[in-house]
Amino acid sequence: MVYHSSFVDEEGITKACGCPLLPLKSHIKGPAPLSDPADKIDIVDEAITFFRANVFFRNFDIKSPADKLLIYLTLYINVALKRLEGCRTLAVGTKAIINLGLEKVPVPGEPGFPFPGLFALPQSQQEAELFRNYLKQIREETSGRLLSCAYRPNGTPNKWWLAFAKRKFMNIIVP
Amino acid sequence: MDAASRPAVVIDNGTGYTKMGFSGNVEPCFIIPTVVAVNESFLNQSEGANKENCLAQYNAGIMADLDFFIGEEAISLSRSSGIYNLNYPIRHGLVENWDTMEKFWQQSIFNYLHCDPEEHYFLLTKSPVNSPEDREYAGEIMFETFNVPGLYIAVQPVLALSAGYATSKSEMTGVVVDIGDGATHIVPVVDGYVIGSSIKSFPIAGNDVTQFVLQLLRERGELIPPEDSLDIARKVKEMYCYTCSDIVKEYNKHDKKPDKYIKQWAGIKPKTGASYLCDIGYERFLGPEVFFHPEIYNSDFTTSLPDMIDQCVQSSPIDTRRALYKNIVLSGGSTMFKDFHKRLQQDLKKIVDDRIDASNARHGVDIKSQPVEVNVVSHPIQKIAVWFGGSAVASMPEFYESCHTKEEYEEYGASICRTSPIFKGMY
Repeated sequence: MVYHSSFVDEEGITKACGCPLLPLKSHIKGPAPLSDPADKIDIVDEAITFFRANVFFRNFDIKSPADKLLIYLTLYINVALKRLEGCRTLAVGTKAIINLGLEKVPVPGEPGFPFPGLFALPQSQQEAELFRNYLKQIREETSGRLLSCAYRPNGTPNKWWLAFAKRKFMNIIVP
Repeated sequence: MDAASRPAVVIDNGTGYTKMGFSGNVEPCFIIPTVVAVNESFLNQSEGANKENCLAQYNAGIMADLDFFIGEEAISLSRSSGIYNLNYPIRHGLVENWDTMEKFWQQSIFNYLHCDPEEHYFLLTKSPVNSPEDREYAGEIMFETFNVPGLYIAVQPVLALSAGYATSKSEMTGVVVDIGDGATHIVPVVDGYVIGSSIKSFPIAGNDVTQFVLQLLRERGELIPPEDSLDIARKVKEMYCYTCSDIVKEYNKHDKKPDKYIKQWAGIKPKTGASYLCDIGYERFLGPEVFFHPEIYNSDFTTSLPDMIDQCVQSSPIDTRRALYKNIVLSGGSTMFKDFHKRLQQDLKKIVDDRIDASNARHGVDIKSQPVEVNVVSHPIQKIAVWFGGSAVASMPEFYESCHTKEEYEEYGASICRTSPIFKGMY
């Protein structure tokens, strides 16, 4: 991985499964703390900016626990783009993404989780639920911002982004 | 007028292109793709061919071995008519098919250069990882088939260094990074002698960059006719690719000013004649990025080119290392990307500086080593640097004395070509 997250400072942030629940500039309800208005970018912005570079790589060196979130989001963006592949307009795309958001979100330790061993296992049922809700929130937030990149202002798909739907991030094939 | 007073013929055979011409010239007379188109349709005719074909077959049987073409003609002929098959005699820098190689040399000497091989000394070039047997075969073909009066088989990286030596005051000590179409080699040369144990091979070359560009274009769904696809990808690579300093910044630049960065490629489909347009965007900088992050192309390779150059210098004798870092010479067509040398110098300097800082930190403040100067040299004739070096070497008067001559060949046999005069010391 060439591009690492800049959110290395972890004090005062709640942790779950060995991963800090970083603040988001989000209006969606969920366990994430509201981010500082002075911060221009949050972890979701970072994931989207670095996606087109990081998607090519297979080996990652983790410099901080925030990098683990970055990897998870990079995979999620890859999956979301694959769902958007057949959608010709923004409306159809939005529907597909909402369907993706309604699917069950696995947490580390459950069979559907894509990176076994990357995150620590949750210690208690509450921690697992907290992490699950955080993942749901961050996924919804990412989808919203991704749609504005993947589709042009007039609603047609942007081929420069959708080309990456064909890339297999770390060769993981997600159904 | 004997052969020593005529200019020598300099032929540089590479995996992708062959550069040939006469010594003393600044650039080669011909740069043609290393490919032979052979007519193989008459080879497998059965015995029961009917009478009308017999005459044609008889004629072809006598003329069949002259019925072949090389270079650009070969490529266009194989496309237009179905009876010619393309053969690439050189793969990854090494000759694989000696019959085809002989045919190639035959046409290039007689049809392209129009010279009589018995009246000129020859200079051939060989890749640094060639075995002595390869040199022996080449010598055998040259002396037996073409009857040349003298032959010198040069090592490509040393010629690339001589090219710089002739034009400016650079040394015969340096690391030659030769990135061709089929193979990339990093060769340290000290005082004109190759340090054989430190030669490193990098698995990615020009052909791989072309494949990667093609893969990216296909993923985006650009309309490219499949017959021409590799050819178009190669032309796109040669015309539009450049080296960036940082991938994410380049992506942002592309997004902000698409008109400035996204280029268009217009072509005509060969089968239907219809014209088509194709957008070229991210491939422009992702192509050359493969040298600095090979895992984006193939996940088996993780060492980048600057890392490998560093490993090569570190494995050379310790007293030569500073001089090697000071003179890193690029040669080969695939180093012609814009700003390639700047990026390479930047990355390599960072690796070297990091190591010096780490060792300074270990020793404490008393001992501070002198900073190592890292210099990547590029000059406008990089693409034909090896040929130019050959031309320069062959125009020196000592050249004729260091060739293997026909008399030596007849006396001792082909094994004289095994040793390269580099090790006997020419200077």
